[in-house]
Amino acid sequence: MLEKQMAGHRVDRSICAWFWDYVLSQGGDPSMILPVIASPTHYLFQLFRDGIIFLACTQVEMPPLMGIEFLCRVADVLTDYLGGLNEDVIKDNFVIVYEILDEMMDNGIPLTTEPNILREMITPPNIVSKMLSIVTGKNSNVSANLPDATASCIPWRKTNPKHSSNEVYVNLVEEMDAVFNRDGILVKCEIYGEVQVNSHLPGLPDLTLSFSNPSILYDIRFHPCVRFRPWESDQILSFVPPDGEFRLMSYRVKKLKNTPIYVKPQLTSDAGNCRVNVLVGIRNDPGKAIDSITVQFQLPLCVASANLTPNHGTVNILADKTCCWSIGQIPKDKSPSLSGNLVLEVGLDKLHVFPVFRVGFRIMGVAFSGLQIHKLDVKNTPSEPYKGFRALTRSGEYEVRA
Amino acid sequence: MFHQFSATAESLSKASSLVLRIGTDAHLYDDPDDVSIGPLLESRFDSEKVDALKRLLALLAQGSDVSQFFPQVVKNVASQSLELKKLVYLYLLHYAEKRQNEALLSINCFQKDLSDTNPLVRAWALRTMAGIRLHAVAPLVLRAITKCARDPSAYVRKCAAYALPKLYDLHHDEDNSSFEELVDILLNDHSPGVVGAAAAAFKSVCPSSLFLIAKSFRRLCEILPDVEEWGQIVLIEILLRYIIARHGIVKESIMFSLSTMSTTPVADGFPTFSGTSGNCQTLVGTTCDVNMITLMCKSYIDGQIECFAQTGCSNSNDDKLDLSLTSSTNDDVVMLLRCTSPLLWSHNSAVVLAAAGVHWIMAPRENIERIIKPLLFILRSCQASKYVILCNLLVFAKAVPPFFSQYYEDFFVCSYDTYQIRALKLEILSIIATESSIPIILQEFQDYVKDPDRRFVADTVAAIGLCAQRLPMVASACLEGLLAITFYESSLSSSSQIDGEAGVLVQAIMSIKAIIKQNPDSYDRVIVQLACNLDRIKIPAARALVIWIIGEYSVIGQIIPKVVPSILNYLAWSFTSEEPDTKLQILNTAAKVLLCAQGADSLAFRKILSYFIELAKYDINYDVRDRAHFIFKFMPHSLMTSSEKDNNSDISQNGRMHHEPGGKILNGKMHSSISSTKSSRIYLPGSLSQIVLHAASGYEPLPKPCSLLNTDLTAGVVNETNDSDISSGSSIEESGSVYDSDHSSISSDDGNESVNDSNDTESTALAVRNDVQDVREKTLVDVSNVNVCVDDSNENTKGNLSAFISTDLAELMPKLALESWLDEEPGVSSIQTTQQASSGRISINNLNCTVTPKLHSLLDPTTNNGLRVEYAFSYEISTISSMLVLVEIFFENCSSEPIKNIALKDGESSLSVESSDQVLGESESLLRTANVPPVLSTEEIASLDPGQRVKKLIEIRFPHHLLPLKLAVTCNGKKFSTKLWPDIGYFLKPLSMNTSAFIDHERQLPGMFEYSKSIDYKMWCTFKDHIEKIAPVKDDSSIHSDKIILLSQILASKVLSNCNVSLVCADIPVSFNIDDASGLCLRFSGELLSNSKPCLISILVEGKFSEPLVLTVKINCEETVFGLNLLNRVAAFLQ
Repeated sequence: MLEKQMAGHRVDRSICAWFWDYVLSQGGDPSMILPVIASPTHYLFQLFRDGIIFLACTQVEMPPLMGIEFLCRVADVLTDYLGGLNEDVIKDNFVIVYEILDEMMDNGIPLTTEPNILREMITPPNIVSKMLSIVTGKNSNVSANLPDATASCIPWRKTNPKHSSNEVYVNLVEEMDAVFNRDGILVKCEIYGEVQVNSHLPGLPDLTLSFSNPSILYDIRFHPCVRFRPWESDQILSFVPPDGEFRLMSYRVKKLKNTPIYVKPQLTSDAGNCRVNVLVGIRNDPGKAIDSITVQFQLPLCVASANLTPNHGTVNILADKTCCWSIGQIPKDKSPSLSGNLVLEVGLDKLHVFPVFRVGFRIMGVAFSGLQIHKLDVKNTPSEPYKGFRALTRSGEYEVRA
Repeated sequence: MFHQFSATAESLSKASSLVLRIGTDAHLYDDPDDVSIGPLLESRFDSEKVDALKRLLALLAQGSDVSQFFPQVVKNVASQSLELKKLVYLYLLHYAEKRQNEALLSINCFQKDLSDTNPLVRAWALRTMAGIRLHAVAPLVLRAITKCARDPSAYVRKCAAYALPKLYDLHHDEDNSSFEELVDILLNDHSPGVVGAAAAAFKSVCPSSLFLIAKSFRRLCEILPDVEEWGQIVLIEILLRYIIARHGIVKESIMFSLSTMSTTPVADGFPTFSGTSGNCQTLVGTTCDVNMITLMCKSYIDGQIECFAQTGCSNSNDDKLDLSLTSSTNDDVVMLLRCTSPLLWSHNSAVVLAAAGVHWIMAPRENIERIIKPLLFILRSCQASKYVILCNLLVFAKAVPPFFSQYYEDFFVCSYDTYQIRALKLEILSIIATESSIPIILQEFQDYVKDPDRRFVADTVAAIGLCAQRLPMVASACLEGLLAITFYESSLSSSSQIDGEAGVLVQAIMSIKAIIKQNPDSYDRVIVQLACNLDRIKIPAARALVIWIIGEYSVIGQIIPKVVPSILNYLAWSFTSEEPDTKLQILNTAAKVLLCAQGADSLAFRKILSYFIELAKYDINYDVRDRAHFIFKFMPHSLMTSSEKDNNSDISQNGRMHHEPGGKILNGKMHSSISSTKSSRIYLPGSLSQIVLHAASGYEPLPKPCSLLNTDLTAGVVNETNDSDISSGSSIEESGSVYDSDHSSISSDDGNESVNDSNDTESTALAVRNDVQDVREKTLVDVSNVNVCVDDSNENTKGNLSAFISTDLAELMPKLALESWLDEEPGVSSIQTTQQASSGRISINNLNCTVTPKLHSLLDPTTNNGLRVEYAFSYEISTISSMLVLVEIFFENCSSEPIKNIALKDGESSLSVESSDQVLGESESLLRTANVPPVLSTEEIASLDPGQRVKKLIEIRFPHHLLPLKLAVTCNGKKFSTKLWPDIGYFLKPLSMNTSAFIDHERQLPGMFEYSKSIDYKMWCTFKDHIEKIAPVKDDSSIHSDKIILLSQILASKVLSNCNVSLVCADIPVSFNIDDASGLCLRFSGELLSNSKPCLISILVEGKFSEPLVLTVKINCEETVFGLNLLNRVAAFLQ
């Protein structure tokens, strides 16, 4: 447990004890409880991320989304800094965590949350500094100078980064949300996508990115660096990028009709037994390989035991009755299927509740929504930079109801 | 050694990871005190100090108290190493409040750091200094902030803005103006980052000083997109509040347009919208839940408490809001909307919600739709924020369902959603469903019913019920589905007990019940079906429900009455094995059936009911026993056999009487409270209170529309005294309207209508005089300390309060105070006295005093042939010349003959008087050059019938304020000369001012312009007749408690009836001694009619009530002669 007192009125640690009691009273699963809780003394905002609970308290009115969003940001920054989130990592770097928290928030108001600026203020831990600290016994991760960007009009960018490299990568990452109902009909299918940019450009570059089919974008959200005017008039993204990796834009594409793979579960139950048969196959070939296919479902509580065998991949049944079937790539010769038998609890004749199958997959090199980048112009740089483009589609909330 | 071998695999992996963790701070965290920290802190090497501090931090993180190292740590503040500094600061901030004295040692270092060349050092120093919360250094911090607010580095300025709330929190009892000044400077900063921070400071330091925003509103709007995201959230809120306070609600917005729509409100649900998706016109055209919007609008503006008070009793049409309106074409509104609309694309969901909130409240309804897509998009951000957003969307959807009806897909539940999110989505879906979308939504619901989470399934079933109620066309389809669920569930639960199934079943039957209720006649088959399956439904609550339904609809349709007897037989058979809940319902149903039964059946029913009652009387459960007795007592007539009935036909009359209430109680329509309190709790969009559904501390509803006055905007920070002037000036106006409320007492006292009239005109004149500003309600009592001039700041804050924030509450309190004070409750008043310091006093400018202008006789009926002429001085001011005094003349015929040709003329001797007033000075001679005759406007009265009374208003120029004017009254051809004596009190006209202005004027008229006279005043004699007038029935004891109020009322009414002045205030001393009147001070102000010079009257009371009081009358006036004469006059009428 790490504690950082933000405002003058300190919050007693006992609030955490209260919180745990509350979590236990609600079933003990921190991911299932409300994000905003009114405790007898405080209002708590909680965020559960990778096994770590981020908890913030307030006693007065404030926008709750602000609290939650800030916790998300803290989690993001810490993940970014520490290369992951778990108890050990935080313990290892607790001093840095303290320093970051101190920079990110002042008296209950977010101070510096832009990762690029934070990086300049507090150096992220890396192998080199670790080695140095062993060798020399000295280690300072606090920067001596104030990043210039804090004073500039573009707070997300340091004023004069020096790079040996001169390159910019644009990465389309899409997540597909789809729901098939129990009749196998596609109820809802949409894509949530992000344009991720990784820029290492010298000076103050001015970039313009345009899509060849911007009309398919249903709605959008921008990084603060994007200028609103050009988008409103010509649907062009014009921006001065932060240094390093950032999410330039996120978008939604709705009313899609195609899904890359199908999952057909069949459950027939009688006389205390339930036959399960799940078929997986490619529906619309995206042109690239679909990999990391997984099918996951929760066995109903009334299932006493399960015996499931796949003809491809492996099946794992976890303690909480989650059944994971990892398929990987779909082989050419056969279509993967999972079949087996579930034994219901005594006294139950038929299965009356049906699990939802969550499907995971990944397609490299394809933006499934069909969004295409038309061109990327870089101005204001001494030499033409290297430009790279990538795309990736993976499953989001992709589920099939049995 | 050996214990290592017994280590589990887990600790082995831990050990291996330890190897990888070399070079990190893990060892410090795991064993922070494996070396002694003290010596390390004293080390010469920075690195060792850093190590020590890290260990301290680790201990701190683990929750142990390491404050004993404080002195050693503080010493290191001076270190040059930034990392060390940072760590020291972290430590300091944690413990400084605990170790105040040692923390003071660090102040010098901070001071030095504040002038460091490195801005980071300056910023850190400021942040820490403000953060350590030492009262002793608060002035230093304020100075530091002031300095840093002008720092060249934006980062330092930003930190200065952040430091303001910290200091304010520590020290906010102090005068606020320095804070406001700093906020103002920072708000005007050119760097967006600083502005964002300043907005945060504004919100916590002076959220109500919206006038600070006024001058830079446009700039703030323009800079808004550049402000960093966290600042945007706060700034948007501030700008919205400003707009509301400055311009009011937008006429075209949803808040206004729907809440005041004159069309008949649609109570439940809205007529479905035609289904052409995306057509804005259709959307806007559809009606929405008007009640809901009115409620929402009210809650936004009035806050929750008042809102409940108003809507709790009725939500009829009379609760329309009187909102100040502005149009959507208002420049400021357009500006705000334009600058917030790109923020709907923001990365940060909190910003999106805040911007959407502005549009929701301010934007014209056609444009509101644009916020919906972004709001739905941020649902995708993370689980935690999803919940918050859905809570807000639910309110929006309730208010205007058509906006969301085409987006139903976004509210479909997916397996990743937590239960709370699912419940919210279901509620929204059932609200936004339309005829076109309901098939798809129901299809979706069918899937949900098979979900493993049975709690969710129960909710789904409830949602199906809601949909069916809202859209009657799908009701039968829903009912079919629900019945299927019911039978399925009942078969399930019979085979095994599974968690949650019971809930689903009960909910299904409840939904069925709700649907049936809408149209019972057409669903009789459903009821029969349910009844037939009663045997299979095992869950007591569900059984009870079904039995209730049977009882309720036992006479509907053809089939049910036929089935009922067998059902009752079945129940009679099973009664003993039922649960208490079910037993209660069986009793009710049997009684109800009997009440409705006719003919042959009733005998059988009577038997069954008696059987039930007999069984229930000896039940183990006392509720059941009670119910049996209750029914037995209520229905003795029905329970009697017919033979008995014949025998006691006279008793059967009695029985009828009992029958009626019994039937009423049992057949009474169940008023299910559909609108739960939860749904009516609406708070501002995006607020914490909306999520937790109670007003969190610090929650402020929107300011009152147009509560920010133009005058305040110009006032600005510097001359805040203006603000206080405004509010107290308005309170004078209130004192003027006293007359208004006292009409009845005057007319009843005198029985004189004309006096009443004069008061009417009088009060309108007062209203005209004070139409400088429109203020709706004012404080009646101004509680301030004894030194009014010294306590300006105190008044200022109050002035601000009433001017800027919702004035209601602030007014309510003083009003109550006055009431309790006047209501003569010794307890309350004594509480108030104890609250006040002994030197404190209450300043009242609304004394509930009666004003009775004195009537003087001009012509006695005995001296002539029965014409009585009387006159009274009017409070009105002549419009022709300032020299003229208005006098009301009353002619009354006391004789039995009509009197003809009555006229009032100058006496012949007026010329000789004029010669004598040469001495009166130039003002008089000026008038003569203007050639105004002494008496104006006297038309002849042609005829006056016996007993008739006529009022005439004449304007008279008196030659002198003491000397009489000779007049001649002619009637019936005869002439009677008489004299009209002037009243010096009416050579004045009221001059409204507040207390401080009065004191200012008083100071300007010292020495020879000030005249005073002391008189003995016998309290009791006047007291008694006054009391007789006001409250003849009140007993003596009650009078004792507020003698002082009475006294001031008497004095004030005396002065006001004899002089045309206005009451400035009555300062009432608050002392423990009730008998002591010392210190009571009444102030009146007026100005001379002739030359508009101010004339101030103050009356000071000394002494005790038991003894004769000493009144000191003091007059401040430039006109010496006038002043002295007035003094004598006042003294005379007071005695």
